[in-house]
Formats: sequence, C-alpha cells, structure tokens
Amino acid sequence: MKVVVKLIGPFIRALGFSEKEMDVPPGTTAETLVRLVDLPASRPRIITRNGRAIAPGEAIEAGDRVVISPIYSGG
Amino acid sequence: MNGWTGHFLRVNLSTQTYKKESFSEEFARKWVGGRGFAAKILYDELEPGIDPLGPENKLIVALGPIAGIPAPNTGKTVVAAKSPITGGYGDGNLGSRVTEHLRKSGYDALIVEGRAERPTMLYVEDDKVEFLPASEVWGKGTYETNAWIYAKYGKGVGVLNIGQAGENLVRYAVVRSLEGRAGGRPGMGAVMGSKLLKAIVVKGSRPIPQADPPAMKKMGTEDLRHVHEIDKESGWSVQSTTGVLAWCNEVAALPVRNFRKTHHPEAWKVDGERLNDARIATYGCPNCTMRCGITIHDTAGRESELDYENIGLLGPNLEIFDLPRVGDLNYMCDDYGIDTMSGGCVLSFYADAIDHGAVQGDLKFGDADKFKEVLRKIALREGDVGRLLGEGSLRASRAIGKGSEAYAMQVKGLEVAAYNCKFIPGMALAFGVSPIGAHHKESWVITFELKQTSRESYGAEKAHKVIELQRIRGGLFEYLVSCRFPWIELGWSLENYPKYFNAVTGLDWTLDDFWTVSDRIYSLIKLFWLREFPGTDRRLDYPPAVWFDPANADTEGPIAGQVLEYEKYDGLLQHYYDIRGYDRRGIPTRATLDRLGLATEAAAAEKRGKLT
Repeated sequence: MKVVVKLIGPFIRALGFSEKEMDVPPGTTAETLVRLVDLPASRPRIITRNGRAIAPGEAIEAGDRVVISPIYSGG
Repeated sequence: MNGWTGHFLRVNLSTQTYKKESFSEEFARKWVGGRGFAAKILYDELEPGIDPLGPENKLIVALGPIAGIPAPNTGKTVVAAKSPITGGYGDGNLGSRVTEHLRKSGYDALIVEGRAERPTMLYVEDDKVEFLPASEVWGKGTYETNAWIYAKYGKGVGVLNIGQAGENLVRYAVVRSLEGRAGGRPGMGAVMGSKLLKAIVVKGSRPIPQADPPAMKKMGTEDLRHVHEIDKESGWSVQSTTGVLAWCNEVAALPVRNFRKTHHPEAWKVDGERLNDARIATYGCPNCTMRCGITIHDTAGRESELDYENIGLLGPNLEIFDLPRVGDLNYMCDDYGIDTMSGGCVLSFYADAIDHGAVQGDLKFGDADKFKEVLRKIALREGDVGRLLGEGSLRASRAIGKGSEAYAMQVKGLEVAAYNCKFIPGMALAFGVSPIGAHHKESWVITFELKQTSRESYGAEKAHKVIELQRIRGGLFEYLVSCRFPWIELGWSLENYPKYFNAVTGLDWTLDDFWTVSDRIYSLIKLFWLREFPGTDRRLDYPPAVWFDPANADTEGPIAGQVLEYEKYDGLLQHYYDIRGYDRRGIPTRATLDRLGLATEAAAAEKRGKLT
C-alpha cells in the first residue's frame, strides 16, 4: 500500500529526504515505518498519522500521511 | 559573597545621579537573580496604580549568578518593568554583551528611575556613570543607533537600545541588542522611550566573583564545547527554531489568518527547509553553543534575522508565504524596535476586524505591501491607524467594539506567541497562566499533550506539566540567568545547572531548592497583579474567546469541528490553581505565601487586595 512519509527538521538531513511516497506492506506500524526509513532508534521522535499522534504499534493504512518529527519543545 | 557582585547600580535620569547599593546574601539566596531580583525590586518600590509610561515606573536590567560566566548559553539579560501593555508585571530576556559587562562593572542589576529632560544614553564603565546626549540618534532605528554607538566605543561593548517604536510609546516596543535580537515583549522598549532613554552602553573590566574560578572555568569551557558538539551531531541548528513550523502545520497548531485557521497548504514555502536554503548568515548570543538566528535577504537586500515565532506571526498569520516578504516585516519590526509577535498579532487583528466589517479599511490578508505601510504607521504613531494599533490588540478591540475583542489574540493584553491553541487545551492553559501574558517562554507542552497524554484531555496531568515547565523555563532559566535552549532542544541535563550555580556561589543547592525559588517568584508576581487589579478573577487567566467559538472550528484536517470548551478549560485551570495553592481567583492563598516565605509581601498586598 502507498503512504506519504514526511520528515521534520534535523531528520531531513539525517535521512536524506524531506517527503516521499512509499510502498509498504499492509499491517505496517508506525515503528516499522521508522525502521524502513532507517531512523536510528536512539533519536527521540513523535509520529503523527494524518495529524494525530499515534503509538509505535499502531497500524498505518493506505493513503495515510505519516509525519516523523523530533520532539520539539517550543523554543 | 561569591556568585554575586553584591551590588545594584541605581541611576536617576531626572536628577542625573547614581549610587551603588549593596544587597545581602539572604536577599541573593531568596531571589537568586534575573527575574527574581526584578520582580522583588519592582514589587517593593513601585506604588500600585502608577502609569507604566510615567517617570514613576522603573526599568530593571537584571542578571543572575551564572550570567556572563563562560558556560553554555549564559549571555542573556533580563529587562523588566511594570508593563505598559498589560498593566501588570512585565519582563523578557535577550542576548547581549551587557550581561558580561554589567557584571564585570560590579553589578547584578541596574535600576533606572525617573525621566530624562532630553534624549539620553546611559554609559556605565566600572564605577563611572555618564548621562550622555542621544538627540543625534533620537528618531533613528535600532540598526543605525547601534552603529552610532559602536563607532564611539567599539564593537565589544554591551548595548541595549530602542527604535522609533519605543520612542513613540508603542505599548509592545522591545529592547534591542544586536547580539541577541530583542527582549521585553510587554513593552519594555516603551518604558525606555518614556524615560527618553535611547540606549544603555556598558563596559566592565573586573572579574566576576566566584567561589571556585578554576573549577568553573574548566567545567564551563568543556561544556561549551560539549553542547556545541551535541548540536552539530543532532543537526538542530540547520533549521533552528523554525523546524517546528512544518510540524505545527501538520498537527493543526500553526497560526494562520489571525489564528482562524491552523494549517495552510502553502506553509511549506516559509518553513525551516526554505529558510535554511535562503540563509546568508547565522548569529547567536554571547557564549552561545547553538546559534539560532538565521538571516536571509529581504526584498530590499537587507539582512533580516528570522526565527519560528516571527515567521509564524508575520508569515502564515498574515497569509504571507514568501520568505523575503516576511523578512521585510521582520526587519522593520527589528529596526523600529517592535515585538515581532505582538506586531504580527496586531496586524492580523486589524485585517480580521476589517474582514469582519468591524472597521473600515483596505487591508487584506496576504497584502504584504499594505501590512508594511500599516506597520510603519504603528511605529511612528502616524494617523488614526497608527495611534490605535500602537496601543495593542486588546485596547484596539475595545475601541473598535462590535465583538472584535473575541479575536484580539492576547491574554492579559499581551499577544499570543505563534502556537494556535484552538484545540490544544494544555498549551492554552500555559498561555493563560503565564505571569506576563501570552508568552511561550514560561511553559510549552504541545508535544507532551499529543504524545504523552491526549489532545482531548483537560486532566490534571496537563496542569502538572505546565507547572513543572514553569519552574524550569520561567523560573530557573530566568533567574540564573541563562538560555533554556541547550536543555529544551538538545537534552542538556538540568543537573548541570546546580553544578554551575554551586561552583560560582560555593553553595550546595539541588534542583529542589530551585523549584522553591521558582514558586516564590511566581507567587510574588501574582501579588503584583493583585495589587494592580484588586478585583481580579480567574478570567484574567483565560485565553482568547475565539478559541472557544464553535463557529471558528476547522472544517477539515486533524481537529475538524473541535474547539476548546469553557467548562472543561475552567476545570483545567482549577487543577492548576489547586496544585499551585492558589484560590479560586488564581491568587496564592495565605498558607501558600507563608510556605514560600512571603509574609511581608502578603501584608503589602493586603493594603490593596484581599487574600484568602
């Protein structure tokens, strides 16, 4: 299934892309997606699906927009 | 006394006199510095009810025990006074060489009283104090004024100055320093202007007293390098504060069109990636390890230094999605000495009021040239529009009427920073209970709300988090005085700060000792508000009404159909009061004040307001 993955801030430089469409297997979870894009487990992050924060084990569905962001603290 | 110089410098502009005053170690331990010193001095010395723009108000420049010491991000200075825009306590911090030079001159705070007869520049060099004419730069912007000062004294001196907005008493005029942008959102620049004080220049040459200078030097030098390495490794400085713009747009937290909308398809045009691409230089404050000031060329080719707040409020909030044009407005704010956040909110309020037919005009969202024209009128207080909008959005809305107060985006009179809390209850609370009005510097809880609890929750966990962060951000960092960024953005441990504090003072404090000081200062500031507004109630801690208006709900996106709810917000506010030990009006109870060692201050408050 196709999903759009968007990275925020320092993750863009770290992973080499800003936003892209990805083809992922059905049942892919937020955490699986993090591994698929090669984000090191040590980087604290918040993942949103269509603008809503999701837990690591939550499944992603076709057509979702998934945003992986560092934990910002509001300057 | 180690860690503190033990002295304040008190100058009177009316009489052109000055004196060096001592303070006790007990005073130092109770209030520590920065915001603590400023709040205590203003509380003790200002008669309630004075005109903030009159000679009776006092401007405080205050530093803390680690300020100016070589250690991560210790180049900050606190400026404070009774606020012309809120009528309550007001302060802010900015990076400046004044930090180091004032301490090296032998002072932990400067107290400026009275009003000069003519435009004046205050010059402090160790024991020397001079009141110098500044008519030559009166009417000039902050850049030209700064260049004039540097030409006289060289670039190494510490400078605080104001632009035309401060001179013309725009109620949200800021104090500027070229080494760290601006500070004093609640009108500290207007207070300087009311005193005809164009600039403060400081040059110091003495060592700052420390208990263990070699240990502090070793630790501070190593940590400066260490934090810088963390920043480089993490890549935070690539976009600095502006990285959060794209995220706010994704999670419906961006201010768009006077906060009417929470996201916009063109927001990417002004996000951190585009800013980094357009970068021509990077600036930071003294002792900075993670410089956050990214400059670009504006449409006139001038260097305009941007961060998230000013892009958010001068860009998407005005529906301007072109970085050089955002840069134009930002440069104008910086040169005139207008707070970019309040400036953006006042402009968006006026466009919204026109859009809703509350007032006649031809200003439209997205019209960058027109916004520039209005901004210029504000700074110069030109015409009816300049006079009206220079008062800030709350006063302007009361003059306009027709329901416009609901969408004047402010709390206590101070405009909201660039986070749209239409449906973010905890952050709305953080703005509501900020002791100076809607500033994000006190507490910021959005990722906590989305990740650790739920956006929909109005539970006590959010009030606890707001208080935890107030103790750190609005407390610790504001009285030590030091930039919070290494901790909040890079995870630099809070445990480092007692280490620095103990190395310079010779004391043995833990973080718990600091939280008591934080609570004491927050309670004292509450008493300041009580004395100014004896009939105060909890509505002073409410965010703008439009965030509760179902008609203002998003029609699509992650929070479609959702807005804050009054009853639930009020419950969240009550959680906050209960944890803090405040009464139903949001005033510390007598028991709380006693616990924090504020019995004397409580007695002073009772002459004007009631305690429970």
